[in-house]
Amino acid sequence: MTRRMRLMPREESFSSRLRGPAVASRVGLWLGICFVVAFVTGLYSHVSQEPAPWIALPTRPSWTYQVSQGLHVISGTAAVPLLLVKLWSVFPKLFARPPWKPRRELVLHALERASVGVLVAAAIFQLATGLANSAQWYPWHFGFRSTHYAVGWIAVGAILVHVAVKLPMIRRALGSDVDAGPDGAADTTEDLGKSTGGLSRRGLLRTTWVASALVVLGSAGSTVPFLRQISVFGVRSGDGPGGIPINRTAAAARVTETAVADDFSLAVVHGEREVRLARDQIAGMVQHSAVLPIACVEGWSASGEWTGVRVKDLVALVGAPLGAAVLVTSLQERGAYRESRLPGNFVADDDTLLALQLGGEPLSLDHGYPCRIIAPNRPGVLQTKWVSRLEVET
Amino acid sequence: MRLARALLFAAGLVIGGIGAAHLLEGGPRNLAAAATWLLGGIVVHDAIIAPLVIASGALGATLLPRWARAPVSSAAIVLGTVTIAAVPVLGRFGARPDNATLLDRPYGTGWLVFAGLVLMAAAVGAAVRRHREKE
Repeated sequence: MTRRMRLMPREESFSSRLRGPAVASRVGLWLGICFVVAFVTGLYSHVSQEPAPWIALPTRPSWTYQVSQGLHVISGTAAVPLLLVKLWSVFPKLFARPPWKPRRELVLHALERASVGVLVAAAIFQLATGLANSAQWYPWHFGFRSTHYAVGWIAVGAILVHVAVKLPMIRRALGSDVDAGPDGAADTTEDLGKSTGGLSRRGLLRTTWVASALVVLGSAGSTVPFLRQISVFGVRSGDGPGGIPINRTAAAARVTETAVADDFSLAVVHGEREVRLARDQIAGMVQHSAVLPIACVEGWSASGEWTGVRVKDLVALVGAPLGAAVLVTSLQERGAYRESRLPGNFVADDDTLLALQLGGEPLSLDHGYPCRIIAPNRPGVLQTKWVSRLEVET
Repeated sequence: MRLARALLFAAGLVIGGIGAAHLLEGGPRNLAAAATWLLGGIVVHDAIIAPLVIASGALGATLLPRWARAPVSSAAIVLGTVTIAAVPVLGRFGARPDNATLLDRPYGTGWLVFAGLVLMAAAVGAAVRRHREKE
């Protein structure tokens, strides 16, 4: 018998009976659900950050963005074990030999290969970049937000194509017993497991669900308060000044001097009219309190009791018409989020405040002293800190 | 079912096309950087992670007694996947000196406790199997 050294294994070289459609379709189903949830919540986050003129997002319930973005990160995190097991279950396909004839078969094979390649690349990309971003780690040279958004569409498109191609196989696999042998033969993988001591397919699936649940429990405490104690891999413990963590510090925003300057004043502008208010003057106006979350795009969130002046009361000083939008400018001189826009319905909301206090204490410098915006149902990056100017849009 | 498949296929092409158009909007430099990561993910999985998993599976099948195989496989899957998902916090790559509220947990200790619990569960499972085999 001659033995040839083969560098590349063949599809048949992989011996595990756990691989195949029974596991791939069941794990794939949940993986698909995770990706769809992440896609929908991702779209919601996208329009929250860059509202299209034809979409008016509601200000209530105030926790909508918090829940949506929490789900976004949780579903992506849960997908990590699912994707790894899914890829394992179909790995031999990577080495399948193409059907050289007829030509039509070869073309179809190549197209399917390409679509699966796009799917795998996009899926790994989304989970890797999303996880790194949630921990504020950016080891790449592309713009995270726009690229993660674009590849999200590509991933979901590739999933739909993949499901369309595999639908008959998926239905067959989901309809038959998970541990059934080939062609319903009697030697199930459960029997096989008993004789070799290895996992059955059912055992592999249970392990996968457990891994997925644990990875969520391990990280979700950053947004689900009662999980804080057990989320050993949470990006934030939830601690911070006033019980709320900080994303961008005053030092990082380079406002440590301007924010505490004696001559600080807030400009409230409407066309030709302008009023300037020192912090004491803002504190002398009617104060209101609201319990609202800071919900960051990175998935963490925390609620606090904010006290300050209603933005609608401030812009009334310069005769702003009801329902006018307001452009908010920060003391920070650079950065994508030095400005934010409060749409008219957000300005009109009773809980949209220019906050001076958090939890009954003056705002800390890192939370936006002397004053910051806090409004219901907004991404954290739009809750502009160190506010220096409110300009009514005309 | 043919109609459902055709609709899914068409919807997939349209949605994927929208994504591709968004990706191209970012310009050639952004595209090149993204392409590196898109291809890099496949390479890291197919050339590093998958062979390592297969090799350790083969090693386990050779070295481990029957009663330990399933519990050890389960423990390896749980520990391996959770550890990969925890890489960004375990490395604390995004930590910043001016922000004490970010990445503020003892992740190394947390991982050790987690790994200890998983291994304990696997040990209990293996002991139960061994006991059953002896009977």
